[in-house]
Amino acid sequence: MRQIYTYLFAVMVGFGCHTEEKLPYLGNSTDDGENVVYHKIRPFSYFNQDSIVITSDTLKNYVYVADFFFTSCPSICPKVMKEMLKIHEAVKNHTEVRLVSFTIDPKRDTPEKLKIYADNLGVHSKNWHFLSGEKDFTLDLANDFFVVALEDPEAPGGFDHSGKIILVDKSGHVRSFSEGTDSSKTDQFIEDIFTLLKEYE
Amino acid sequence: MNKYFGILALYFISIFGYGCYDSPYMQGKRLYEARCQNCHMEDGSGLGKLIPALQNSRLLGTSGMACLIIRGKKDSTLQNNQYVVREMPGFPDFSATEVANLVNYINHKFQPDFRERTINQINKDLAPCASDF
Repeated sequence: MRQIYTYLFAVMVGFGCHTEEKLPYLGNSTDDGENVVYHKIRPFSYFNQDSIVITSDTLKNYVYVADFFFTSCPSICPKVMKEMLKIHEAVKNHTEVRLVSFTIDPKRDTPEKLKIYADNLGVHSKNWHFLSGEKDFTLDLANDFFVVALEDPEAPGGFDHSGKIILVDKSGHVRSFSEGTDSSKTDQFIEDIFTLLKEYE
Repeated sequence: MNKYFGILALYFISIFGYGCYDSPYMQGKRLYEARCQNCHMEDGSGLGKLIPALQNSRLLGTSGMACLIIRGKKDSTLQNNQYVVREMPGFPDFSATEVANLVNYINHKFQPDFRERTINQINKDLAPCASDF
């Protein structure tokens, strides 16, 4: 019997430790002997749905959640957006968190079109940016987020891309991700956001 | 031993029974999962005003469903000063039987007073868009 209690105690401590854990730094990091340099998102500059310039510098005081999409996407985007909405709902009162959705089809997705999209999605928050910029740059930028995004005339809607949702810290490092097409992963991802926020308390 | 076998058999029968009761339109369910679910979602809840929810849709149970599936929809309307974009891809590759399976699955799942549409009815429903597929 005592053994069982010891075991249960160990399990509880284990669980406790798990939530206190620091999120890992994802991607390749280099260690020059003195400093560890972690993988970092490159600097960027975009227009949001209100035609306001949003740059990586604008976001430096925020933890942000990113995804790549396009409004006329007939395949996985609506599913990923549904999960983004769930995340938005969970963090909307946390002023340190932003959501950032990059369009990979800026030719059609102008800031004006993104405004309509956000309105119809029911998002009127200033904390969620729908960003439109240079297409080739965006397809490259996606790599920094470990997202595959490419133009493919054969793919539904003309683009092929993965539905990852990525968590970035205030220094531009990727700290967690979730598959936007798998709704069972979203709760853990939301927990990761709060774990990350604890680093800045 | 025989007794246990009987109990086991009953158990399996009840599981299969439930399976059938759960979705009598398996073909339609598969079509829904493959072609509709990405946008309308598994529970038919859609996505904001971008993708209409299927629950409580006025189109449920109507003759208009068949041609909507074949033709899709491409219209954008101004409602309360808000631009509503509603585009749905059409599926002209569906056969009448597939349309019937899908329509019945959707109606059965989302319409409270479900009534099955027969293949004859679906064929009539499809007459206005017969040239589209």
